[in-house]
Amino acid sequence: MNFLICLETALREIAAHKFRSILSMLGIVMGVSSLIAMMALTAGMEKGTRVFMQQIGGLEGVSIQNKEISNAKFEFWNLSPGRTLMDARAIKAAVPNVSHVSPEMSLGALIASEFDSDRKGVRGVWPGHYVVARHELAVGRFITDLDVDLAFRSVVIGDGIAKKLWPALSPKEILGRTMTINQSPFTVVGVLVRYEREQEKRQRAIQVAQNKTRAGDPARGRQLARWDPFRQKNEAVCIPLSTMFYEFKSGLFPDDSMDTVKLESLNFRVADLDYFQATIGQVRRILDATHRGVDDYELETREEWFDRMEQQVSAARLSGGLIAVISLVVGAIGIANIMLASITERVREIGIRLAVGAKGRDIFMQILVESISVAFLGGILGVAAGAALIQVLIIVAPMENAPLMTWGAVFFSVGFAILAGIASGIYPAMRASKLDPIEALRYE
Amino acid sequence: MSLVLLEDVKKSYRIGDQEIRALDGVSLRIEEGEFLAIVGPSGSGKSTLMHLLGCLDTPSSGRMEICGRDLSSATADMLAGVRNREIGFVFQSFNLLPKLDVVRNIELPLIYSGISRNERLARAEEVARSVGLGDRLGNRPTQLSGGQCQRVAIGRALVNRPRILFGDEPTGNLDSTTGAMILEMFCQLNRDGKTVVLVTHDPDVAAITKRVIEIRDGRIRREYAP
Repeated sequence: MNFLICLETALREIAAHKFRSILSMLGIVMGVSSLIAMMALTAGMEKGTRVFMQQIGGLEGVSIQNKEISNAKFEFWNLSPGRTLMDARAIKAAVPNVSHVSPEMSLGALIASEFDSDRKGVRGVWPGHYVVARHELAVGRFITDLDVDLAFRSVVIGDGIAKKLWPALSPKEILGRTMTINQSPFTVVGVLVRYEREQEKRQRAIQVAQNKTRAGDPARGRQLARWDPFRQKNEAVCIPLSTMFYEFKSGLFPDDSMDTVKLESLNFRVADLDYFQATIGQVRRILDATHRGVDDYELETREEWFDRMEQQVSAARLSGGLIAVISLVVGAIGIANIMLASITERVREIGIRLAVGAKGRDIFMQILVESISVAFLGGILGVAAGAALIQVLIIVAPMENAPLMTWGAVFFSVGFAILAGIASGIYPAMRASKLDPIEALRYE
Repeated sequence: MSLVLLEDVKKSYRIGDQEIRALDGVSLRIEEGEFLAIVGPSGSGKSTLMHLLGCLDTPSSGRMEICGRDLSSATADMLAGVRNREIGFVFQSFNLLPKLDVVRNIELPLIYSGISRNERLARAEEVARSVGLGDRLGNRPTQLSGGQCQRVAIGRALVNRPRILFGDEPTGNLDSTTGAMILEMFCQLNRDGKTVVLVTHDPDVAAITKRVIEIRDGRIRREYAP
């Protein structure tokens, strides 16, 4: 008896008992749909996490932080110049696997336009800051080497600052305007895009669709009150590092030069992650040299942080998957139950098949294929129900990260449903194949 | 060589701690082309004998050969193979599958002998026509009369061209006119050379055969030609 006949018999049997088949499928449908929904939720979370990681600089970003000197070297503290531009220059010159270095000097300053003013942090940066901080321009350009070399009074501002200083103007209209930083005039050469989370993007899209006619942006005021991981990026004010030094940092002490003033921040970006550890080692040796052996710095990588985030995602996936799998198992028990009942109902049929020459394994295959078919059909329906469930979830409970249905999840769930079909079919099939033909024929 | 050979066959069942001797030393020989009836009252062991002859069961002791194969201690799969190829069964209560139509019912034994789909359907249809159901091919058993159902059953028994045809009270559920027609079919099949064995307690049915074996208390009591 070949597989096709088994399948044909199975489908006939399913079609002949529609209500019973649907009932036994229901468990699988629910199990598969919740598995699909669960996997879509965690896939969405995972994607959101990954996007967030990318936006904050990814694994490639490394930050050099100040550190308390260890007790053993405490007496040598004044040997080290600390984090200075020397470090940045040395790393840039000597480590080939570092693509960008971003030294920063910062200043809390009064910034003002003709309309408004505010106290904000201002950064003096190199062009590499654009890549290291993962900025994106809306219009204009970023700080260039020429700006740094000639200490131009150029400034690049974030979207939040642009909205604050020139509330009525578009970024394009802001280009070329003059703003002041502690009363020194600067020309706006670039405006950055507005950084926002997925959820805000969606909400704004909805809002735009709903209130096209309403003036202003009511959603923004409300959202600013909430925690926003991109607030700092949106309120960036970047000027050339050299300008920062000459304008605001020099003259405090007579010996200060640009290379000896301490930096507020020093970050760099690794080009090839395959050589990450080697690169970190090289940077450490360079810093040991420039800091004259004083351990007043540490390298902060994001590996641990990202690992923790990924652990959280996989924990969510595991617990969600477990619950969904439990419901699938319940579904499988349902199939097994109904298959067992249907075998009692079909003892006579099995007797007839045995009498005309069916072997035990023919009967076994027939019952098994039938239960697999039920589970498979249930799985397919479950995928459809899961897709619908995801749509409902998106509407009813909008989340930071939209659920994401993947092909992997579909194949996994249907595969699991088939497995459930096999597991639930084996025992009934075994019972059926062991029936004695004489007794089965006599059965009423 | 004999088609069926039984030598001192015994069959006993255990029900609880009680042992029941259904057959107690039966020896029997059936040749190709015979037309034979097994008669006896209920409880005599004739059903057990038929189950053995029909390869639904194996004897507890003794020797059993069917179509030249020693089946004294055959496995279930071996018996299934012999049932499929060498034996056709016609039951009192037809035993058709209610969800399948005439052709599909007749096709059933062919499914288990690994014949391709097209050939199966062609042969089943041909057999259906030969038993007079050419205009009923797509009907289900519930849409047929008792006589027609028994024709389907005969068709199913014949479709794999078996060497022996068994009828277990084949007219038991039919009125006398239809019963006579069915019996005539058996006679015709025997005239065409098929070995036919009927199990019955109806003397009128036994009367149309050529050899009658009477069973009582698990033994062959007498054997005669009607």
